[in-house]
Amino acid sequence: MSTEAQIAQFRQTYSALRAEIGKVLVGQDAIVDSTLIALFGGGHVLLEGVPGLGKTLLVRTLGEVLDLSFSRIQFTPDLMPADILGTNLVMETPNGRREFQFQRGPIFAHLVLADEINRATPKTQSAMLEAMQEKQVTAGGELRKLVEPFFVMATQNPIDQEGTYPLPEAQLDRFFFKLLVGYPTHAELSEVMARTTTGHKAETGKVLDRDRLLELMTLVREVPVASHVQDYAVRLVLATHPKTATAVAIANQYLRFGSSPRGAQTLLLAGKVRALANGRFNVSFEDIQAIAHAALRHRLILNFEAEAEGITTDHVIDQVIKEVPKTVEAVNA
Amino acid sequence: MSEIQLVTSSLERASRRLRLNRALRGLWLGLLAGAGLWLLALAVYKVAPIPAQVLNLAAFCGAACAVGGFLFGGWRKPTLAATARWVDVQQNLKERMSTALEVANAPSDPLWRELVVHDAASHAKEIDPRSLVPFRLTRAAHWAVLLLAVAFGVGFIPEYRTQSFKKREADKAVIKDVGHGMAEVTRHELAARPPAAEPVRQSLEKVAALGDAFQKAELTRAEALKDLASVQDKIKDQLKELGKEPAMKRLDQAMRASGPNQPSGADLQKQMEALQKQLGTDKPDPEKTQQLKDKLEKLQDAARAMADKGNAGNEAARKELSESLAALSREAAEMGLNLPDLEQAINALAASDTDKFLKNLDASLSDLDKLNSLAKQMQQLSQQMEKLGKNLAEQLDKGQADLAQATLEKMIQQVQKSGLSPEQMQKLLDEVSKAVNPAKPYGQCSQHLSDAAKQMQAGDQAGAAKSLAAAAKELENLMQQFGDAQSLAATMEALKNASMCVGSGQCWSLCRKPGFKPGGRPGRAGVGTWADDDNGWLNDVPMSDQLVDNSGVQRPDMDPRGLSERDPSLNPALTPTKVKGQFSPGDRMPSITLPGVSIKGTSRIQFEEAATAAQSDADSALSQDKVPRAYQGPVKDYFDDLKK
Repeated sequence: MSTEAQIAQFRQTYSALRAEIGKVLVGQDAIVDSTLIALFGGGHVLLEGVPGLGKTLLVRTLGEVLDLSFSRIQFTPDLMPADILGTNLVMETPNGRREFQFQRGPIFAHLVLADEINRATPKTQSAMLEAMQEKQVTAGGELRKLVEPFFVMATQNPIDQEGTYPLPEAQLDRFFFKLLVGYPTHAELSEVMARTTTGHKAETGKVLDRDRLLELMTLVREVPVASHVQDYAVRLVLATHPKTATAVAIANQYLRFGSSPRGAQTLLLAGKVRALANGRFNVSFEDIQAIAHAALRHRLILNFEAEAEGITTDHVIDQVIKEVPKTVEAVNA
Repeated sequence: MSEIQLVTSSLERASRRLRLNRALRGLWLGLLAGAGLWLLALAVYKVAPIPAQVLNLAAFCGAACAVGGFLFGGWRKPTLAATARWVDVQQNLKERMSTALEVANAPSDPLWRELVVHDAASHAKEIDPRSLVPFRLTRAAHWAVLLLAVAFGVGFIPEYRTQSFKKREADKAVIKDVGHGMAEVTRHELAARPPAAEPVRQSLEKVAALGDAFQKAELTRAEALKDLASVQDKIKDQLKELGKEPAMKRLDQAMRASGPNQPSGADLQKQMEALQKQLGTDKPDPEKTQQLKDKLEKLQDAARAMADKGNAGNEAARKELSESLAALSREAAEMGLNLPDLEQAINALAASDTDKFLKNLDASLSDLDKLNSLAKQMQQLSQQMEKLGKNLAEQLDKGQADLAQATLEKMIQQVQKSGLSPEQMQKLLDEVSKAVNPAKPYGQCSQHLSDAAKQMQAGDQAGAAKSLAAAAKELENLMQQFGDAQSLAATMEALKNASMCVGSGQCWSLCRKPGFKPGGRPGRAGVGTWADDDNGWLNDVPMSDQLVDNSGVQRPDMDPRGLSERDPSLNPALTPTKVKGQFSPGDRMPSITLPGVSIKGTSRIQFEEAATAAQSDADSALSQDKVPRAYQGPVKDYFDDLKK
């Protein structure tokens, strides 16, 4: 298939996915878009929002529209790593022998919904680390590859913090996007009422299978990026590094740590997806800026002063975008 | 045209426009800086005494800033990549152009390259450089125009300068002007009368150099006066040194006696000879020729009147006219004057040829006029010649050195002649002997003449000629010295002028105008005329402590002035006919001027009537207590006086 046809297919698929999800999920367009961008970018998503905003529904619906294996893990404080990864169990073979067999955990699926991920202990949470980054798990002394594609869609609740364990920075960094799910608007809420308080049940169909998804993910990576756009993404990330020559003032004031290189990778990759989704063949500054919050907000570590003053990472990112010039000429001038 | 070429050409057009826009922005910025600089310089110039050249410099810098800004702005040609990025941002093309340019030049997937370039080319058509980069006045341009307008306004504000600064500037201008004038006069003197003596030449050149220095250097008045005084002292010393020579006094007296700008004796002789050539043998008397001319003019008027009336009834008049002309012709012939045109006029009159008669009459009158003029000149020259010495002794005595020199030259020629009779030799000897004493003031001249006389007596003609030549040479040297002294005196005069100009703060030309008359004697040039008491390089009388009796000294200049010996009784013509305050009906009223009111007009009623009416009004006012108590008495007295 030619590149042009692949691009056309990408757009078609993207639109179809949006349409199918839209059948179930009302509103939250930005969240849906971002989730799809992360999907085609091959990254994991952390959805944060108060209960009842449709986080789980979104992921579940995504599992339904994608012709992929789907598993859901409800994270609780007593959840153990083996409950996620799997464990060796003594099994009786057909010829009557007993032997240890590895029983795969729910992580062995294409799409994993990690619901309320922050309720699990750090020990359990860290079981996800290798899976998310290396797309493999080590269990029972053996290295086991996860199937491609592998996505983790985690949700967490910002309130009701008792008995929760904040995700470690290392794990947060492994998420492609952190999306903040907001309240629906009046119209959206009305539509939710109409759909959920009647006998109507939305039916969704499979839109995308594994092979096509992998193809499209490969296609996305081929989207060309101009050097100055790539440089802009790099400079954005460098500007978040406090106490460095490239840092902007707000980073020096409110950040303890800036974004990792994964942040820059995310910016570029997500930019490519967004460009293709918007019918372009190249990444623009606007693409980078549009996904900057989702890509960087969980990678910036605020200092005590910021916490005390109620400064969020989104504030910092806004200011960084404002202060970092788009072109090198502007920097030199 | 391929798609990438389409993209490139669009970007190049935008690039050119962008470059021009940058140049214009640079121009406005430069103009703003220049206008600011100019305004600053102008403002400073208005309050502080900075040189006016600073304004020129600021104006030049301002213009240079504008030009420099234009060049600097347009110097760097924006690269295509930079233009593409700029166009992407301006046109919101989402980095299509820049990516296309980059991808087109990079070894990338050809399919992607084609897609990206195609996409960019489709958007490149939308690029319109004129709407993308519109030429409009920037904020800098507005500010620049505002600053220029302010500068224009500030230009009308008069400069504030302290009095001392104004005085200094005026002094500088005067010193410069004086320097120019001094140098010009001195150089003219050097060219017109090149000095014979080297020290004199050096002194004059020094004065010219001082003039140049005045023009160049910015001296204060005191410094300039000091320099002038120093040079004056030196020249004065030189003049004194020259004045010690007794011949100088004699030559100066001779020059003063003949008056300034008078021709020398030799020149007078030449002029006389030329005039005699013109007149030939005739020696007309100017008074008689004038009488003759007057008569002829009267006859000419009569002839013209007769010609206007016509021929009828004029026979007797014509005869009378003919006789008068014949008498005039005879008179001219008796005076030795030749007037052929008059004879022809008489003939023409006899032949009734009026035109020819009038023409000949005009011609004869013209001849007569010319003769009269020549006669007058001849008379004047004769009068001047009478003042000249007749022989060597007289010439030397009167200080006519040039004539004496010429006489000596003639004598030398005579002495050198071989066939000189004893009478002639004796005559020469007598003349030379008589000149020995008058030649005493002329240095060695007397000695040489004495030697010549002895040699003539001894019959040594060659020796005598040599001695006479030495005497002539001595005279020539003395005349040269006198010329040098005159040059120094003229320069001294220029220096005095300069000192006066610098001292009084007047320009050179004003000091040299009629008002100041160097060498004039008090009172001669009018009341209040400046006189140079210090004039005359030979009049330096040394100061003396001895008592002097000046009772017999006549000082007409000290006579009282402004008082006339007029008869105390006034001339009747000067007696006023009108008495102030009196007027009669029908006459012009005298003008009465009150504060803010001017009453003029013609009286129409009798004064008595007016006075009576005013008196009754005054009485009424007094009786009704309308007049303040303090004024009641004077008002009553005034009207009582009017009654009388």
